[in-house]
Amino acid sequence: MQGQAAVVGIGETDYYKRGESPKTEFQLASEAINKAVADAGLKLEDIDGFTSYMESRNDPGRLSAALGMKNVAFAAQPWGGGGNGVAASVAIADAAISAGYAKNIVVFRALAQGQFGRFGQSKASNYAHGNRAYSAVYGMLSPAHICAMQTTRFMHQYGVSQDSLAEIALAAHAHAQLNPRAIRYGKPLSREEYHASRWIAKPFHLYDCCPENDGATAIVISTREQAKDLKQTPVPILAAAQGLGKRDGALIFNEPSFPTSFNREVGQQIWQRAGITPKDVQVAQFYENFTGPVLMAITEMGFCEPEEINEFVADGNIQGPDGKLPINTSGGNLAECYIHGFELINEAVRQVRGQSTCQVKDVEHSLVVSGPGFSPGSAVLFSRD
Amino acid sequence: MQRYMPDWWVLPAINDQNREFFTSGEIKIQQCEACGQVQHPPEEVCHQCQGIVFDWRSCSGEGTIFSHTVVEHPIPNSLQERVPYAVILVSLTDYPAIRIIGNATNIDADKVAVGQKVRAVFEVIEDEQAKVTLKIPQWEVIS
Ligand SMILES: [Zn+2]
Repeated sequence: MQGQAAVVGIGETDYYKRGESPKTEFQLASEAINKAVADAGLKLEDIDGFTSYMESRNDPGRLSAALGMKNVAFAAQPWGGGGNGVAASVAIADAAISAGYAKNIVVFRALAQGQFGRFGQSKASNYAHGNRAYSAVYGMLSPAHICAMQTTRFMHQYGVSQDSLAEIALAAHAHAQLNPRAIRYGKPLSREEYHASRWIAKPFHLYDCCPENDGATAIVISTREQAKDLKQTPVPILAAAQGLGKRDGALIFNEPSFPTSFNREVGQQIWQRAGITPKDVQVAQFYENFTGPVLMAITEMGFCEPEEINEFVADGNIQGPDGKLPINTSGGNLAECYIHGFELINEAVRQVRGQSTCQVKDVEHSLVVSGPGFSPGSAVLFSRD
Repeated sequence: MQRYMPDWWVLPAINDQNREFFTSGEIKIQQCEACGQVQHPPEEVCHQCQGIVFDWRSCSGEGTIFSHTVVEHPIPNSLQERVPYAVILVSLTDYPAIRIIGNATNIDADKVAVGQKVRAVFEVIEDEQAKVTLKIPQWEVIS
């Protein structure tokens, strides 16, 4: 049964530019987990499960030994190697807690790209194997190229303007100015600077692309029943969803729904499960790998029609705390810190608790949408207790 | 014709599934013998009937640019000399639901636009190491 689990603790390390963390990735993971557990008012030995995503290098065995845990009753990751699994990793923990497989599950992500090199960095070799042959041979290599191809078609098909892409970057940077944790704190971005910044892969300027960062973030999920006795106001997981439409797993842009962010089925399911509509959501965090897929995800999650996206994001509508739907209120991947999107989960929880640096009024429902443009999509919806 | 990407750039590793696509000198798409479904990229199982026996359907080599990107930032750095280059997504005239990635070889990267008509051309490359003559599908904008 849904709604049995709640977030009871959140934690994060300091955030760093890529390669600037004085700590290793494993040390960062330990620190964020320790902070989340302390925030909940729990002890490390109360933790009995882990979930993560994106082929986490910090495996449960090594972590449990280092953290002095008494038992690992549950450990899992969603399939797939990308940020599309952020909310899915929370959903798996929600399912495990609701089923009674574990009592207190840590969901986390840690990243020290200086230590391990960049995720998504393409290396040239003499041959492109498998389905990469159909793309790499033509110089189509990185997530930026993939999302650019999706976004060009989306813009063409629905008359989406470059300024609408800019709005995502501008909102993130505006929110980061309120957040001392943010990498871009004290570094505002103007529309002119956005348009003047260099191209990466058209239609993406530099500021359309998420930066590379180091740090770690973690949450603790427990039963709502147990949450009553803990330190923080619990933040229930009202609903979560993964989704992928018919044949949309066909590769290299042969999915029938192209251009898609792979969120249509996610949206339909999450609203049905939660028994609410997008209008009932006060604040949302959309994983920004690139700005274009965020616009696509907003429409596919049902907030507006694709033809309406220019108006939806214009005029400060997505800027907090007072816009119609503030998004990425901590600065998001673009301007707070890119911990493969997991920092968005912490921010969504803060919004329900009333602890955001860009606090939206009367938050009943707080949404996180995972990395758009990669399948399957996922999302999670938090609510007030 | 000269290669659009640099001479030293990656080549397709040829296998049974992609040999027709990269060596036949035609635009050939996988077709299920049991139900006639065409699909790209080639897969081991038919998406329509789960059949496992396939043939190759020759296409006219005409198509329309469905989407594109102009790559300005080189990945890896060794492509510094090659940027900007355009990557296009071609919707085949014969099977519009089939989309193929390629390059527009005969116009400047910034002139590429959605809706332009294209015709297939082939880069003939002797892959000495793999002992195979590649005919890599590419595209010329014709209108
Ligand atoms: Zn078939």
